[in-house]
Amino acid sequence: MAETRVHTLSMFAPPDDVDTVHNMLESVWSSAPQISMRDRVSFETALIELASNVIRHADGGGGVSCALTVEITADRIVGSLTDSGLAGNISLVAPSMPGELEESGRGLSIIHALVDEVDYDRCDDLNHWRISRKLES
Amino acid sequence: MDITVKDLGAGVAVLQLDGRLNMVTASCLRDHVGSAVASGQNRIAVDLAGIDFIDSSGLGALINGLKTARQAGGDLRIAAPNDQVKLVLQLTNMERLLTAYDSAETAFIDG
Repeated sequence: MAETRVHTLSMFAPPDDVDTVHNMLESVWSSAPQISMRDRVSFETALIELASNVIRHADGGGGVSCALTVEITADRIVGSLTDSGLAGNISLVAPSMPGELEESGRGLSIIHALVDEVDYDRCDDLNHWRISRKLES
Repeated sequence: MDITVKDLGAGVAVLQLDGRLNMVTASCLRDHVGSAVASGQNRIAVDLAGIDFIDSSGLGALINGLKTARQAGGDLRIAAPNDQVKLVLQLTNMERLLTAYDSAETAFIDG
């Protein structure tokens, strides 16, 4: 049976930001060469959109504390993000794309297009996000 | 992200981007496009060859730049996107509005 690998990151934004997540993923990919470039690009794009949304919308003024876990199993890559911010606003249903000249509102659609599962739960004043993508065989 | 601006004359400016175009750097691109247009360069070619990642914030900055250039009677065109940028453009149905050219230097060669 293939080994399950778990990578963790604690961050506080600001001063941390999505580049902190990018840097973490660089080490994830270097330790998981079996993951295809398409899976890497798709998962990283979805996770950065999720982290951006949390940093932008969950910060009530005093910053937001985040704990990120990336788990790689034999057939899946799963990102779990817990944050201390305001209650989440991510729809669990893929929203429609905004008009082409709109400058925002595409992040959630991108997430839903790139992963198979998007879950959210609010518990003990914390937001718990989970995205999961089935790996290409 | 670093931005290098090249003046090609005839109102054309090439903005050469290097790094990640995301929520951290999107405002930097908006500012550079605004400055170029304010100085009379209303045809903006954004060279994405050095961009290894874009998110929806970065896409929003490109759309903002496109609107800024068009309001000044010009246009904004993109060049040399990598596969990740192409994926985001495709998923968001932006390939028509932001048609990718092979080279920023020749993006406005047809006018």
